[in-house]
Amino acid sequence: MSVVKARPSPIAWLIAPALLLFLLFFVLPFGVMAVMSFFSANPISNPNAFLTTKHYLRFIDDDAGIFHDALWSTLRIGLVTTIVSLLIGYPLAHWMARIQSRLANMLLMMAVIAPLLTGIVVRTFAWMTILQDKGVINTTLMSWGLISKPLPLMYNEFGTVVALVHIYVPFMVLTLAGVIGRIDERLEQAARSLGAGRLRAFVEVTLPLSLPGILAGSLLVFALSISAYVTPSLMGGTDVLTLPMLIAQQVGTSFNPNFAGALGMILLIVCFAIVIAYNKILARLAGEEGLA
Amino acid sequence: MSAAANKRPFDAGRAAYLGLNLLFIAFLLVPIAIVIVFALNPTPYISFPPVGVSLKWFAKFFDSAEFMSALWLSLWIAGCVLVLSIVIGGACALALARGNLPGRAFLTAFFMSPLMLPAILTGLALFQSYLLAGVGRPVWGLIAAHTLVAVPYVLRTTLAVLYNFDRRVEEAAAALGASPTRVFFEVTLPLIRPGVLAGGVFAFIVSFDQFPVSLFLVVPKGETLPVVLFNYMKFDLDGAIAAASMVSILLALGVVLALERLIGLRAYVKL
Repeated sequence: MSVVKARPSPIAWLIAPALLLFLLFFVLPFGVMAVMSFFSANPISNPNAFLTTKHYLRFIDDDAGIFHDALWSTLRIGLVTTIVSLLIGYPLAHWMARIQSRLANMLLMMAVIAPLLTGIVVRTFAWMTILQDKGVINTTLMSWGLISKPLPLMYNEFGTVVALVHIYVPFMVLTLAGVIGRIDERLEQAARSLGAGRLRAFVEVTLPLSLPGILAGSLLVFALSISAYVTPSLMGGTDVLTLPMLIAQQVGTSFNPNFAGALGMILLIVCFAIVIAYNKILARLAGEEGLA
Repeated sequence: MSAAANKRPFDAGRAAYLGLNLLFIAFLLVPIAIVIVFALNPTPYISFPPVGVSLKWFAKFFDSAEFMSALWLSLWIAGCVLVLSIVIGGACALALARGNLPGRAFLTAFFMSPLMLPAILTGLALFQSYLLAGVGRPVWGLIAAHTLVAVPYVLRTTLAVLYNFDRRVEEAAAALGASPTRVFFEVTLPLIRPGVLAGGVFAFIVSFDQFPVSLFLVVPKGETLPVVLFNYMKFDLDGAIAAASMVSILLALGVVLALERLIGLRAYVKL
């Protein structure tokens, strides 16, 4: 704690490689993307390229009637995914934070982290085998005679959200468990000894105290799910078109990287707003904890 | 223990709480287990219930030149990313924690930001830059891109260790006459090693499973494993994908166990 507020020490130079990497491969490229989104074509290879706002106007005018829909379905899928992840993640995080046995805690942690360490493509594949027409759920229900034709579980927003929730719940749990773990359990016990039922003690003591965690976790999951590409494009079929899918289309099939850049900037601005809010909340959390 | 003894014999609220949580754990783990079932099921298409056990999908996976070259490329890239991100991320963490840098909070947020910004946009931005620079889509470009998104993981685990350990150990070594270099190599480095290594393992997995950053940066015939799997899955859904998935799940499982041994997973609760 007695660290002197001095000039940067020689150790500060160790930041140089990271700074170089980030400037060359992060700051500069995003700058390039921003500039390219205002050009009609690649300004280096094409001498006729000119500055224009046409890519943004194309999005705003939306003559084909798909861009706005794509934006809304991106935000809608993100919102539903976030809410469902919170409903599943909160009880799990609470359990993890309050469980006494070290072994149980470790097993829980592994159960939450194992999916996190399994690739998105693999996990989406798993959900395809479960939700498709000849998948686990439909064949089981049909063999029991409960349904006569397969339920439409995949190639729509439902399947997309299910798989996205599975992918992003661990982020919610890890964010929340840290916050809930720092809440003094005796506060809840005090409320209970004063006559509050367990539910009331939770709703009036623990839940409000974990609000910053709820907010931080939700923003994180929202930011991640609106930028998902693999899951919506495999699980959504022709029913779902999100902004990241539109971007990939512009690069891959239409080969219009400039318009893709404009779409990217729009997604980036949405995410930036979320990141700033997230960092503000985390900074407040760290402040309460008294940073080491 | 006495509190447990005081409990009423059946507690409906508690039972519901545990039941719900076990259900959620099943939701997290069952899909991964199901992949194993399909990897071993010999039917030509994904079908349920399984009819037997065979290793033919693993044979198909390991015999396919396309899958194998993708697997080796992914492993090679992940290996490079592991080394690069350990060196760059570890050094960066030391500078942030010990360098007395102004604006430390801002710098930390800056170096963490690739985790928060859409990975597909990082890929797009790099794709546009490589296009503009006219360098094509080289493998080093892919490695640099993966390193960029892997460094935050090393930074996070290393910073967690650096903020947790007692600086007086370093001060004691210095007081006993050790030079700053010697303090660094004999005290600081061994103490932060578990954090750096754990971050490196994360970095490896992040690169090995990376899809969105790679999407625009791979060349035909030079695709990484997740991209090959994705393209395959768009048209075909057979056991070969399940077998390939199994290989990466086993890899991930090994990593989780290694992590637990290296540093203990509790450290990651702090995001």
